[in-house]
Amino acid sequence: MKAGICRSLAAAASLLSLGALACTELTVEPKSTVTEANIFSDANSYRSFIAKVYTGLAVGGQQGGDGQTDIQGIDGGFSQYVRLLWEHEELPTDEAIIAWGDPGLPDLNTMNWGATNNFVAAMYYRIYFQVGMANEFLRQSTDEKLASRGQTALKPTIATYRAEARFLRALSYWHGIDLFGDIPLVTDADQLGSTPPQQATRADIYNFIVSELTAIQGELPAPGASTYGRATGPAAAMLLAKLYLNAAVYTGTANYPAALTAAQSVIAGPYSLDASYRHNFQADNNTSPEIIFAVPEDGLKTQTYGSTNFLIHASCGTDMNSGDYGVDGCWYGLRLKPEAYNQYTAGDLRASFFVTTTGHGPAINSIGTFEDGVKAPKYTNKTSAGATGQNPGFVDTDYPMFRLADAYLIYAEAAVRTNTNLGQALTYVNALRQRAFGNTSHNITSGGLTVDFLLDERGRELLWEGHRRTDLIRYGKFTGASYLWAWKGNIKAGTATDAHLNLYPIPSNELVANPNLRQNPGY
Amino acid sequence: MRLRRYFIGALLAGLWMAPLRAEAQTGTIRGRVTSDLGGTALSGVTVTFGAKSAQTQPDGQYVLTGVAPGTDTLRARLIGYSPATRVVTARAGQTVDADIVLTARAVSLSEIVVTGYGEQRAGNITGAVTQVSSADFNTGRIISPEELIRSKVPGVQVVDNNEPGGGFSLRIRGATSINASSEPLFVIDGVPLGTGAGGGLSAGRNPLNFLNPDDIADITVLRDASAAAIYGANAANGVVLIQTKSGRAGTQFEYTGSMSSSSVTRLPSMLNAAQFRAAVQQYAPTKVAQLQDANTDWFKQVDRTAFGQEHNLAVSGASGSSHWRLSGGFLDQDGIIKGTTTQRISLGFNLQQHLLKDRLDVSASLRGSRAKDLFTPGGVLSNAAQFGPTQPVLDPTRPTGYYDWPGQGGDFKDLQSADNPVALLNLATDRGTTYRSIGSVQGTYRAPFLEGLRATGNFAYDITRTDRQSFYPSTLHGQLKSGNGGSDYRANQSQSNTTAEGYLNYATPLRAVPGSIDVTGGYSYGWSHAEYPYYSANGLSTNLLGGNGVTSARSVVNFQDIEESRLISVFGRVNYNLNDKYLLAASLRHDGSSRFGPEQQWGNFPSASIGWRISQESFLKGMTAISDLKLRASWAKTGNQAFGNYQQFSSYLLGNDQAQSQFGNVFVPTIRPNAVDPGIKWEETRSYDVGVDFSLFNNALSGALDLYKKNTDDLIFTVPVAAGTNLSNFVTTNIGSMQNRGIELSLSARLLQERRGGLSWTADFTASHNRNELTSINPFASAAATKILTGGIAGGVGTTIQVLQPGFAINSFYVYHHKLGTDGKPVYSTNLLDMYVDQPTLLDTTGCPAGPTCVGQFRPDGVINGNDRVPFHDPAPKWMFSHSSYLGYHSFDLSFTLRSYLGNYVYNNVASNLGTYSEVTRGSPYNLHSSVLTTGFVTPQYFSDYYVEKASFLRMDNVTLAYTFKYRNNPVRIFGTVQNAFTITGYSGVDPTAGLNGIDNNIYPRARTITTGLNLRF
Repeated sequence: MKAGICRSLAAAASLLSLGALACTELTVEPKSTVTEANIFSDANSYRSFIAKVYTGLAVGGQQGGDGQTDIQGIDGGFSQYVRLLWEHEELPTDEAIIAWGDPGLPDLNTMNWGATNNFVAAMYYRIYFQVGMANEFLRQSTDEKLASRGQTALKPTIATYRAEARFLRALSYWHGIDLFGDIPLVTDADQLGSTPPQQATRADIYNFIVSELTAIQGELPAPGASTYGRATGPAAAMLLAKLYLNAAVYTGTANYPAALTAAQSVIAGPYSLDASYRHNFQADNNTSPEIIFAVPEDGLKTQTYGSTNFLIHASCGTDMNSGDYGVDGCWYGLRLKPEAYNQYTAGDLRASFFVTTTGHGPAINSIGTFEDGVKAPKYTNKTSAGATGQNPGFVDTDYPMFRLADAYLIYAEAAVRTNTNLGQALTYVNALRQRAFGNTSHNITSGGLTVDFLLDERGRELLWEGHRRTDLIRYGKFTGASYLWAWKGNIKAGTATDAHLNLYPIPSNELVANPNLRQNPGY
Repeated sequence: MRLRRYFIGALLAGLWMAPLRAEAQTGTIRGRVTSDLGGTALSGVTVTFGAKSAQTQPDGQYVLTGVAPGTDTLRARLIGYSPATRVVTARAGQTVDADIVLTARAVSLSEIVVTGYGEQRAGNITGAVTQVSSADFNTGRIISPEELIRSKVPGVQVVDNNEPGGGFSLRIRGATSINASSEPLFVIDGVPLGTGAGGGLSAGRNPLNFLNPDDIADITVLRDASAAAIYGANAANGVVLIQTKSGRAGTQFEYTGSMSSSSVTRLPSMLNAAQFRAAVQQYAPTKVAQLQDANTDWFKQVDRTAFGQEHNLAVSGASGSSHWRLSGGFLDQDGIIKGTTTQRISLGFNLQQHLLKDRLDVSASLRGSRAKDLFTPGGVLSNAAQFGPTQPVLDPTRPTGYYDWPGQGGDFKDLQSADNPVALLNLATDRGTTYRSIGSVQGTYRAPFLEGLRATGNFAYDITRTDRQSFYPSTLHGQLKSGNGGSDYRANQSQSNTTAEGYLNYATPLRAVPGSIDVTGGYSYGWSHAEYPYYSANGLSTNLLGGNGVTSARSVVNFQDIEESRLISVFGRVNYNLNDKYLLAASLRHDGSSRFGPEQQWGNFPSASIGWRISQESFLKGMTAISDLKLRASWAKTGNQAFGNYQQFSSYLLGNDQAQSQFGNVFVPTIRPNAVDPGIKWEETRSYDVGVDFSLFNNALSGALDLYKKNTDDLIFTVPVAAGTNLSNFVTTNIGSMQNRGIELSLSARLLQERRGGLSWTADFTASHNRNELTSINPFASAAATKILTGGIAGGVGTTIQVLQPGFAINSFYVYHHKLGTDGKPVYSTNLLDMYVDQPTLLDTTGCPAGPTCVGQFRPDGVINGNDRVPFHDPAPKWMFSHSSYLGYHSFDLSFTLRSYLGNYVYNNVASNLGTYSEVTRGSPYNLHSSVLTTGFVTPQYFSDYYVEKASFLRMDNVTLAYTFKYRNNPVRIFGTVQNAFTITGYSGVDPTAGLNGIDNNIYPRARTITTGLNLRF
């Protein structure tokens, strides 16, 4: 009996001690996952991190072809930054129409969007993804953080990176107020995972962008081949010029003199018009002297289904041989709306590459019929020498976000609106006209230099470059009845639309997540 | 030659032993034990005679050997039956036949039921528990254990994907989670399989396929949380306990073999060649030139009559103080779509050993299996639907020998044409091999110094190794189209789980107060380690080696991921029983999980329940109609941690070589911080249950009725997060709650009892109703604004058809209401306002509510857009009914199982995606779904409620006819089973049980399977 007790107690004790032994440690550190604790022990991580803030514009995720997407709830290629920005700036205007029926996309053709539109939501989240990346870069690269990780030697390099992060944040905030109006202002001063931010006014963010750009302009890298793809001082000046030009829309108070000054400072930079208009949109457009800020794509190293890869594939279809544009197939999507086509006169080299399908004219009788409407394969994966890019599946063509021609036209518009520097303005405009027609025959006179002419000229020169909606709003023609184009308001002939459509709605998901936000009027 | 020598040797040995037996002066008693209800054979009956005892086999047969001669009482006992006795005289060297009939008592309430960390008499259980024993299992070609209990347990929805051995899902009382798992915890022979039950490895079909259904003795479902709460953090979705068969007295061989043949029941309804040509002529005249003159039924090209076979052999026995069972099984089953096969070899060994004068019971269970799965390559079904019926299968001019659409420019690369499904089927391969072994050793020691004290230790491992490989040659159309240039993929994944548990149990009558208690307390430790390496290559330089090797490739990705997790628990339970009349139970589990940060690692999961056996009260003693009656009520809190590891860590994802950033002429790789909520914690479910168990008319009718409510809080959700506050637009965090409410009824009736040579009939019936409602996904926002889109479909890119919206069931379809024309057909118009109902969505403070179309302050805004989509039905059945009948007549027995769901809806995605004339305007035309002949849609209407179809059905899941006879005194049973004998439904697609999410997008068609086989014991 006694032995039995001992044995039992021993058994029980051994069970309990087993428990106590294993009980001590519960935390399991990840083995195959890189965490904040170890990533920044590698000095290269800072460069890789700022590189991500840039590729946030170029690729939809961490894998080529937009895998491991940055934002959730939508396909990575669909949500690629430049593609979304382009669609929001071009599809609702007189310039472009897309044949596809992917839910939410047709609404952009016809100004029929609502707060649940998934493309609108993706655009909003893309903007804040960029803001979030830039903020986190700034938080992780403070002097204190560098010191704590023993990386103080990197400080000068990182100072430049920090200025670039602030530029990229300012760029996206500009897109944010341009498309959505009043939105929250979140900076690196806010903690990650903090409570939902308050809604700032469009003017607040406008002022924030101006002060940021002014502060960093001198710290950004100098322009040159070695900094191609990065944000430079002139890129910041160009962004300021775009902001000031639209100041009346964003703040209620126009500021054209400042736009003129900023454009002037861009023009004073090392840029010149490329002799070939088309070179700006070809596979080797990185060698164009005209591009101030580009989102680079590369057939082997920077692959996306958005950006120029989308523009080139989607502009191609019936009768057009994809090989002629250096790509592996056609996506049967994008065409011109007839109003954009009709802006061009014979001899304009900027329209020389347009394609019309046999049996179909410029009219868009059916949005879903690709053959209807003139095709405008402006972007191509062929080099200026006629060679195909490195990979027909993913193009080499960079997206020219800012180029000198735009700076010329901003200068001209600001000059006309302020009635100053008109002679210089005429010179700049005629420089573009001369290139467009190959001679001076289509140059305009000072009498022809009007704001209305400049809107049309912007349409011709900057067709499909993602500026049109902003321009039409500045001119008061985007909504309302003053200018109608095909399928405006979902009517083939075009109809007046309500002014609330000048702003996209705050996505319904965002209203759920952030109860501080107020929906834009009319939605 | 050698064989003959063995045979002679064995014969001589037998001759030598025979006189030895006679010399021992003992006798043999044998016979069969049957039930008074229908004369069915009873297995597991303990038969004793003097010092000898044996248990009956599934056919009711027992043999007692070595019986001392003399007259004594033969006793037979089985829980749920009144003990029976019979006086028998054993004679030395002779065999006496003695059959016994047992009279059933309150069957459901007296059975011993396995519960977590112990077992209980059903009558004393205060939770909702259902045990299904092998006699009641579904029959036929059963590959996965889950299918054994389909339609046998109220409130349990068993969903499969129609492939042989394909993945199963179980929903016990509805889903409790959205992003964590809603699958129950499986416990095999007392060993919890842990989260995912071996899932996560992608090589095989169903991770539970390693368990041969033929080795399973019974399956117990702990439906309510009070019963399951002892498993704490893994119990929110209920617990399924599986007991494997163990050895029984008397060496016995058992063989079951069967052959089966399966055929397709329904396929998507596509246009035939003439209809297709007409559609192309009308809507895409420029494509007519691409059409040829074949008449190909593409589904006929890829389906088949599938054959299968299964052989199971088991040897079991007992000697002295040990019981053992050894089993082996072989299964080979083809699917009804070519290319689908599953093959399994399984071995099992169970041993029970009594030691130390029966004070120590040691048992061991060891099972191993190899499953080889061949998969129909992805895209075969969707391309069979899409490929034009006017086109031929073969084209000798192509490198593959198969026809493909030339596409635009004749380069076969057109992105908008379908792939030849036959080429895909014959040239691509996709296969997986899974080795899994699970083993446990359990020891229970009954303390000699304190009657009623037991200590149990349980050690177990569960190891899975898998190999999945797929190969798509570069010549395939799909590879040309995507620019992949051929792909080869291989993953060798492995996972090991180890569990150590120890618990003490003490059961004793109380001295100071009346009644008795049963106390259990223990500790559990679980560790999981998994490795997920894979490599994939694109742009193969040659197809010569198939999937066996890659000489060189354009791009190769190698990947390695190691994941580990730990779960540590302390648990305790007290049962109090006063005179079998008043019953109380309470349990508490304290769980620690490595899946949460230091602040949130530990959770407490308590439960409490009470039972009152009214039938034991004196005031009911006189009511002879009531054999047993028990009321129960319970409350419990359980947790769910079944989601990914390391969610609390802020991690960085490295970009690949194709996602670099260009700085000048240099390309810089990228890193991206991922969104994280470091405070992520358990999902918690609070459950309430009230129930009644009853048995009437001398047990002719018994059953149970339960009402329950489950509130789940802190749902782990990937939700939109306020823009700018985290590193992506969605973060996985604890937000939101949902509720399930329901009612469950089960009835078992002995409708006819056997009279000699007559008919017997037992019928079971279950009915259950569950209502799921998402109550919140964001406590900060108004309900109206709160919705998350989900449920991806084919058609467009990233198109979703379902919504998570408070006030509605999870995954409700989210659609426009389609207007119907006078002909009853959905209106088609290019003007959306003519086609869809314009919902009142525009806030109107002046006109409303006076306006006729106003709802509250809202009026229609004159535009059809996303705001006009509304939640409309959901995929979960509102009512599930089942009926099983067991009939016996002489040597024949017949059983069948009927199942019916009401109120389940399916989105017919094949119709919505291909039922539109725009599909023929693609680069090369797609074939159309025949619904287009009705709707006339020219552009796709993915969000039309027309495609949300009522999918209520009545299905004969299973019908079996068997005949049992004796051959040389050994029972032989031959049987034939038809599975999925018929389905009555109004649903127009392939299968009204189209998976859990209710989206019918080229799902695997359902087979009708006829199985014939025989069972031998000797």
